Amino acid sequence: MKAVITSIVIAIILALIFSLPALAQESGIITITMTGVNEISISLDKTQWPLGEVAADTECMTSPPIEWCTLTVEGNCNVNTFIVGEDAEWVDNAEYKWTLSNDGANGENVYGLWFRISGDTTRGPLGDGYVPITKTQGEFWPYSGGSGSSLAPGNTKQFGLKLLTPTYFVGGRQMQTQITISAVTA
Amino acid sequence: MIRHIKLAGLIAALLVILLPSFTLAQDVNFSVFPAEVHIDSLPPGEAAEFELSIHNKEEIAHNFTIAAFQPPEEERREERVEFPDDSWISFSSQEIEVAANSEANVTVTVAIPREQKWVGEDWETWLGVTVESSDLLAVKLYVRLLVSSNPTVEGRFNAGLIAGIVVGIILLGYGGYCYFRRKARPE
Repeated sequence: MKAVITSIVIAIILALIFSLPALAQESGIITITMTGVNEISISLDKTQWPLGEVAADTECMTSPPIEWCTLTVEGNCNVNTFIVGEDAEWVDNAEYKWTLSNDGANGENVYGLWFRISGDTTRGPLGDGYVPITKTQGEFWPYSGGSGSSLAPGNTKQFGLKLLTPTYFVGGRQMQTQITISAVTA
Repeated sequence: MIRHIKLAGLIAALLVILLPSFTLAQDVNFSVFPAEVHIDSLPPGEAAEFELSIHNKEEIAHNFTIAAFQPPEEERREERVEFPDDSWISFSSQEIEVAANSEANVTVTVAIPREQKWVGEDWETWLGVTVESSDLLAVKLYVRLLVSSNPTVEGRFNAGLIAGIVVGIILLGYGGYCYFRRKARPE
């Protein structure tokens, strides 16, 4: 009987010696860090652009052209900002739409959208400061090849929009679209 | 007759695009906290949770939506690679209504499958918070989510290891018993 007890005690001790390191590893710590007290926020002082009736193959610009809307960094961290557009849909039936061009050009039921930031005079494919808004999220500010840096809390950027209507579209239909301006910590 | 046709053509040409024309514009002002989250040493097979706080700074309630977004490579932090699967990220609620001048929290859970190939990785993804709006211009705020997986696959309840220990104790005990019994046997 004594042999049985001694054997079991030795076995347990040996098993623990080899298993403890492995067991200890299982209580690894998962660290979640919320960087500082960073709060992200941007605001726009304008969110609507009622155009009314427009003709085909026409360029429409906000007024004023490049200081129409002001983006302000409201949070307490530096941000990089982006812009993305989408197809315009008929409010009565989303099956009819104007496709957003991927280069700012227009076509049949294809429309172009552009933005220009105040102070940008040479940016964009035409070198006139206007940059196409596409369905792929693109840089708003700062941008590759530019000298600007990320926006700090309190910084502002003024910009305007330009719409190029399709060369042909079905008339009398109220169309609606959305442009999203986004921000992420720099 | 020709004049009538021309007039009809002109009317057709004046086509309508009425980008949202509500007379009462509602600016949207909200913030998200924290702006950046680091999860370190997350073992494959385990999950980590944190809370995102959405602060609606407007005088009316708004609905917010939350979704993961894969940032382009050039926007990711250095040495961070694309997060493999958005389905590893879940939200307590992907749509939430936040009352005027109030805050609401959303619990975010990140769970990595228990597979050897996910060890020792440094990923980045973004969590986008958008306010529902029909206005032409909308705002989206991204939270940078940086996840690093543990260098080894581990589990809180390693059934295989526990079973191995039990079997080891039994075998060692039996071996010891046999040894002592043989030793105690009179020659």
